Amino acid sequence: MTAATVSPARPTASRKPSARLSMGGILKSEWIKFRSLRSTWWTIGATVVVMVLFSLTMAASLNFAASEPEMAAEMGNVSTVQALVLGYVFAQLAVAVLGALIITGEYSTGMIRSTLSAVPTRLPALAAKAAIIGVVTFVVGLIGIALSYLATAPMLSGNDLVPDLGDPTVQRVILACAGYLALVALIAVGVGTIMRHSAGSIFTLVALLFVLPLVASFLSQDWVQDIAKFLPMNLGTAMMAVTEADTGGVDVLTPVGATVAMAIWAVVSLVAAGIVLKRRDA
Amino acid sequence: MIEARGLTKRYGPKTAVDGISFTVQPGQVTGFLGPNGAGKSTTMRMIMGLDRPSAGSVTVNGQPYAAHRSPLTEVGALLDAKAVHTGRSAYNHLLAMAATHNIPKTRVQEVIEMTGLQSVAKKRVGGFSLGMGQRLGIASALLGDPKTLILDEPVNGLDPEGVLWVRNLARYLASEGRTVFLSSHLMSEVAQTADHIIVIGRGKILANAPVKDIVDGGAQHSVRVRTPQATQLAELLTRGGATVTSDEPSLLQITGTEAAGIGELAAASGIVLHELTPVTSTLEEAYMLLTADSVEYQTESAAKHVGHGVDAPADAPISEGAQR
Repeated sequence: MTAATVSPARPTASRKPSARLSMGGILKSEWIKFRSLRSTWWTIGATVVVMVLFSLTMAASLNFAASEPEMAAEMGNVSTVQALVLGYVFAQLAVAVLGALIITGEYSTGMIRSTLSAVPTRLPALAAKAAIIGVVTFVVGLIGIALSYLATAPMLSGNDLVPDLGDPTVQRVILACAGYLALVALIAVGVGTIMRHSAGSIFTLVALLFVLPLVASFLSQDWVQDIAKFLPMNLGTAMMAVTEADTGGVDVLTPVGATVAMAIWAVVSLVAAGIVLKRRDA
Repeated sequence: MIEARGLTKRYGPKTAVDGISFTVQPGQVTGFLGPNGAGKSTTMRMIMGLDRPSAGSVTVNGQPYAAHRSPLTEVGALLDAKAVHTGRSAYNHLLAMAATHNIPKTRVQEVIEMTGLQSVAKKRVGGFSLGMGQRLGIASALLGDPKTLILDEPVNGLDPEGVLWVRNLARYLASEGRTVFLSSHLMSEVAQTADHIIVIGRGKILANAPVKDIVDGGAQHSVRVRTPQATQLAELLTRGGATVTSDEPSLLQITGTEAAGIGELAAASGIVLHELTPVTSTLEEAYMLLTADSVEYQTESAAKHVGHGVDAPADAPISEGAQR
């Protein structure tokens, strides 16, 4: 640090007088912050790769089922579009990490104090983060599905199993998958804001997204199943189900009911986050 | 202009800031001085709306910070050298901060040049030294060309050249009519930069006065005399109105009279002097004196040093905190 350090300060040189805090500016700021971290791109890359790999696995199973009657009986009439969206099971973890890190990364580095100094009313900063995460994960979900389609089409075309993208049901499932990932990411933004620690937030999210549904699946009590229906993973299954076989025979909500329930999860998480963010010392 | 009224912050049973009131005037550098844990950073965080006061209030340029429509052009703050995401480059950090207020990219370049960060601006902040982190923090603070600057320990980690630069910058900004409020735990640093000093200890204001008053009030002049006839000289001096203390049989500490007078008195009385030394306490000692009661983690040697060398003059203008 020896370069030109004692040059005279010119703090008034060329600032436009129009400088003012605005929601558009906050969104732009959050976008710059989001895109300028390597972890963002690693996580997005991981999301897409996981989705494509799962699609290939699922496509292989569908292909196999089409040629082997025994396997076909076991699979039932699983809808072919599942080959495009099944990756959500693991992709949801990647987008949850993305959602949590957008805020816990600021707490762990101290950046949050800069953020809240620039936006002292606080809630617009949280809203901007949520908006960016929501839109980005939705788009990443669609990209993952598109790449899955391209990757599996050659394999599935032999048995005429390629999902018809013009089919409204297929379109619904694709949107449901992208929407589910976006809502999981929003839940994660809320959890990250409330917990402030990366490790704690990710642990909580893994427990919510994986461990609880797994534990519930081992228990047969009716009341456990009634509650389990409302866990995000099972809501995701319900959102993307076309045939009964798509749900693995588990009792789930209707696609619309499940979408509403997921939206409530996200809203509750973000509202709670907004309340603690507003009240707490930074 | 920063105005605090009865500002208080409690963390559980501990009171970090205890009902302080002060005004920081524009057009001058105001030093905020106090030992570690005295409440400086907490006060600054409350000014910036990051911590919520338990009681009282603080306004910047007439309004609570969060009520300003363009906060970064009202106040620029360096609260913490590393309030920056370590994975992001300095340039992108500044760009993101600027974007919130629609501050143009040219201004980002300007503050980068102003703080001498050109060569590292595109590097990730995680690899920055403390000094570079400080410069980036100062660059962020200047971004909005703010009317008020709050700098918490701005010279921490800077090399001598950087220290000088911060000092000049603070003085320059104040000369433009801005409010500059900077904290330090080093009296010497503040004395060289500030026009006015607010001293805080254990969450309370100990002094709030122009630098000159603090320095003069705290500084104490005494004379050290070594003589084999200590008792005799002490008697004569005490009769003449001076105060004499003694730590060793042949060593006297005299206040209230000049070295010349003591020498003349000794000569007139035929007393042999082995040493006659005027002792002026340093700024650092004046400050230690002010905060002696309020140092949170007092070391034994520091306590001994304070209790030993300098006793508070009863007529000091800042005697509120100094009398023990």
